[in-house]
Amino acid sequence: MSTQDERARQQLIDLAAEFYDQFARGEVPEMTLPTRTKSNIEYDEESGVWVYGDRTSTRSANSVRGARKLLKATYTIDFLARQLEESRSSTLRELYYISESWEADEAAFSDQDESNQMIEDLEIVSEVTREDFHMRPEESGATLMGPLELREQTRRGERDIHCQEDVGEGGYQIPNNPDTIDFLDHDIDFILCVETGGMRDRLVENGFDTDYNALIVHLKGQPARATRRITKRLHDELDLPVVVFTDGDPWSYRIYGSVAYGSIKSAHLSEHLATPEARFVGIQPADIVEYDLPTDPLADSDVNALESELDDPRFMTDYWEEQIELQLDIGKKAEQQALASRGLDFVTDEYLPTRLGEMGVL
Amino acid sequence: MTSFQSTLGEDEGIAEELAENQQAISIAEFFEKNKHMLGFDSGARGLVTAVKEAVDNALDATEEAGIAPDIYVEIAEAGNYYKLVVEDNGPGITKEQIPRVFGKLLYGSRFHAREQKRGQQGIGISAAVLYSQLTSGKPAKITSRTQGSADAQYFELIVDTDDNEPEIRSERTTSWDRPHGTRIELEMEANMRARNQLHDYIKHTAVVNPHARVELREPGLDEPLKFERGTDQLPAKTEEIRPHPHGVELGTLLKMLDATESYSVSGFLQSEFTRVGGKTASKVCDRFRDNHFGRAVAWTTPNPHDEADIEDALVDAVANKSAEATAWFAERVAETVGDRERIAHHELATIVDNLADAAEEEFDETFGSTVRKNAVDAAWTELTRSDLLTASLYDRIDDATSTRKDDAAVQGLAERLADKFAEADDPRHRATRDGLAAYVDRSADRVEEAEDATFGETARENVVEAIWTHMRTVPDDLPKVTSIADDRDTASELLEAMRETDILAPPTDCLSPITADLVEAGLRKEFDADFYAAATRDAEVHGGDPFIVEAGIAYGSDLEHEGSVDVMRFANRVPLVYQRGACAITDVVKGIGWRNYGLDQPGGSGLPSGPAVVMVHVASTNVPFTSESKDAVANVPEIEDEIELAIREAARELKSYLNRRRSLEKRRKKQDVLGRILPEMADKLAAVTGRERPNIDGALGRIMNNVIVDRTVEDGTVTLAVRNHSERKETLDVTDIVDAAPTAVSDGASVVDLDDEWFVQWSPSVSAGETATLTYEVGEHTTFDIDVEGVENEKLTVNA
Repeated sequence: MSTQDERARQQLIDLAAEFYDQFARGEVPEMTLPTRTKSNIEYDEESGVWVYGDRTSTRSANSVRGARKLLKATYTIDFLARQLEESRSSTLRELYYISESWEADEAAFSDQDESNQMIEDLEIVSEVTREDFHMRPEESGATLMGPLELREQTRRGERDIHCQEDVGEGGYQIPNNPDTIDFLDHDIDFILCVETGGMRDRLVENGFDTDYNALIVHLKGQPARATRRITKRLHDELDLPVVVFTDGDPWSYRIYGSVAYGSIKSAHLSEHLATPEARFVGIQPADIVEYDLPTDPLADSDVNALESELDDPRFMTDYWEEQIELQLDIGKKAEQQALASRGLDFVTDEYLPTRLGEMGVL
Repeated sequence: MTSFQSTLGEDEGIAEELAENQQAISIAEFFEKNKHMLGFDSGARGLVTAVKEAVDNALDATEEAGIAPDIYVEIAEAGNYYKLVVEDNGPGITKEQIPRVFGKLLYGSRFHAREQKRGQQGIGISAAVLYSQLTSGKPAKITSRTQGSADAQYFELIVDTDDNEPEIRSERTTSWDRPHGTRIELEMEANMRARNQLHDYIKHTAVVNPHARVELREPGLDEPLKFERGTDQLPAKTEEIRPHPHGVELGTLLKMLDATESYSVSGFLQSEFTRVGGKTASKVCDRFRDNHFGRAVAWTTPNPHDEADIEDALVDAVANKSAEATAWFAERVAETVGDRERIAHHELATIVDNLADAAEEEFDETFGSTVRKNAVDAAWTELTRSDLLTASLYDRIDDATSTRKDDAAVQGLAERLADKFAEADDPRHRATRDGLAAYVDRSADRVEEAEDATFGETARENVVEAIWTHMRTVPDDLPKVTSIADDRDTASELLEAMRETDILAPPTDCLSPITADLVEAGLRKEFDADFYAAATRDAEVHGGDPFIVEAGIAYGSDLEHEGSVDVMRFANRVPLVYQRGACAITDVVKGIGWRNYGLDQPGGSGLPSGPAVVMVHVASTNVPFTSESKDAVANVPEIEDEIELAIREAARELKSYLNRRRSLEKRRKKQDVLGRILPEMADKLAAVTGRERPNIDGALGRIMNNVIVDRTVEDGTVTLAVRNHSERKETLDVTDIVDAAPTAVSDGASVVDLDDEWFVQWSPSVSAGETATLTYEVGEHTTFDIDVEGVENEKLTVNA
């Protein structure tokens, strides 16, 4: 067991010991967590990310519901501690099924949301990340492509990989726990996070990564934790600028938001996952107008989402207010691929160089 | 009809012919044809009714004699007939009375008495005798022995239906093992199809008569059905009361007027009615005067400058007296009248009389009755000038009607009303309330036509009321009792006056409620339930008869869970088993929203369902039944209200019991679940941390707000810690039973030695969140046995 695993295991056992002591003192066992709702998210000036506020809720054995939660927590702690001891790992979904076999019937999770939430709860109270519990999400992580050489700890030993020369067209697969990676060498000028697979492939095919020394990170929609974590590490450790390139609609602005500021569900890990210096490339509503891109009209849900973003403290900057109001004004949205209406090379020859130039990245 | 018409002219003797066929029918004969009216409509029902009548009589007789009832009922098959025997341990009936009690309908001691008794009319038992003789042809066999007599009397008798008189078939003395009591044996055509009703009747009788012992034998029973006494306390003796003025009817009143020895109305009222003393009697008399003579209008007296007119008129009226005396008299009368705000005719007459007397004394002249009458007439004429009348009435009407009434309309009504009085035959301006109302109605109709104004019913009523309250009761002498007795209209005026007067409710010592305690005892005795509640209301009055309603509820355990609850109805301690649907009690039970009280009620109305019994007892000197067979209480609003209140009172207790039960149930469930989950959690925690399994009792006790009693024994010192985790102070009894003598027992304990076992008992009061520590010392190798009382088991954890 690595020292990191040992630490994670100890944290879990300490948590169990806390419950134990509560029992022994004749107290009612309880576990206090920050309230995980949008209204309890605060901007942390110091780190520039969004973290949980002061409001907490308590899981207490006082009620049957609370007692069940704590029983499940205890069983989950036992399972995780053993997993770490045995240097195994499992997926969130597997945990849900494994709980079915626990001897206490009432410890079994009733659905996967519940088991996912339990892992998040335990992350918060033990201050150990899910990855350090050896818990994986179901889908494999996203990919990256660019002039980067790294060393990954795999089950079959260390592997040195160059993310252009040693990988295929698909790029380098980001592992579930990017903290097992060491960065060896690089020739990167900036990191370009791309929302859709189609655009990533276009950039790779057009040789954008080689032409501009860009590390292209595929976000695959809402980015997984591993994707955000590696972006954060690349930025912090290699001191590289990060830009985010998405569709031009309110949902995509939130993808940018989660890369830059952190998400509500994982606000306890914002300092670990968010890259507040990340900047937005586009598609901007202004681009829609400027390049006269093919568009779709805004649906009602889009309008609502934009309006709620106007209220979202994360988007309360002059830049975003201007862009969102412009979009509400024109009533249109556009995808990244809409740039293809100007030709397949337009994005790499014209759009990105221009935008990145404006932003001072190039 | 037409055929008679056509023959009328030819034969004038038709009426006589018809008359020959018209004759009085005896009550017995009438009953013979109308058995159903008394509850003898079928063989099945007849048997139940006969049992009921005999048992009711037996209970009344024993209670009256202050004897705890011991009643034996036997039904046996006798060929094609059934033989019914009912025996009691009552005081017995004298030889002379036996034939009439059993052989004459409507013979009884209670019909005229206002006292709560089961029997009222004196029909029941003789009707049973009649039914038996009609169906089987056999006479009733009566045995009765009075206290202290050496032998019992034996009679065989029937009712002679022609003249409703007993006909004795056989009579002798006999020996009987009971020292006193009565036995009746009837043979009748019957069947046992109403067995359930019979059993219900007997069982319900036992419920409301917990002081009685009842035994039933019938062919369908292997073992006799025995109901033992639940209490030695006999029902309080009831007192007979005189009728209440609010409760009599005209016929009764006429009869009472005829029979009384009183001479005056006031004396009659005070001697013949309950709750009437001198004050109440005079109030009734005044009302009676108002009804009989009418009231006199008291007109507003004229302004001072008009007094001269009165004086002048008086001077003119008093003829042939000295000028001095005349002036003295006239001046004083005018002055005295002027001093009054209002004056009625009889008041004027009194003033004139008094001052005439004074003048006679002062001047030594005679003011004869003619002079006096002339003086009154003259002054009255001045006082009742139509403008004065109108002004006086205007004020009344203006006060009584809304401010929005047109002034011309008010003035018009005042004028027309003044005319009505002026035109009346009686110059004294008297009117009964009805007469006044007629004046107002007619005048208002006129005004509506003339002035295009409206006087609605309420406005008219208000005007009548305003004028009536300013009218004066006249001092005339009331007619004497004898003349009222002969005059139905006057008697009706008296009755009206009696009803209008507020009179104290009748006394209630004529009633014998079971009392809430005994209602509950009765239910406990006959129903195995988890919960009992009972309520007795205060006495109320309906139609002059006081009544008391009681209700009881039993719930749970062995009671039938399926279907509607059982409703047991009682009137004067007699179970009502037939005509459930026609009974006010059933109606009230159905009308209550039982869901509020924790019982299921399909559809939100109707009989509730669930394992419950609802009993209602109506006790009154005169229970209003829907029919002579006394099966159902009539829908009298006053009684229904009280029934509802009584049931609700008991139901509230049921509700809090059910709520408590549900919360304990929830608590038990919670404790069950936590009692499973927390140990599993503790085991897992022990495994993860590699420590011993933690003690979770404290946590569990705290979660459940329980009281926990822990024992620790150290060097011969026993410590019992009583920890109260509940939110309120708990007081409990902790008894520790040890098999060695305890020493150094902590404060507040009592130690009792029983056959080498020591009972150490404390009764600590422990505040919320506190712990009481109880200690004592005892030799080693002792055994303990702890018992904790005062806290529900669900809330108690004992580790000792």
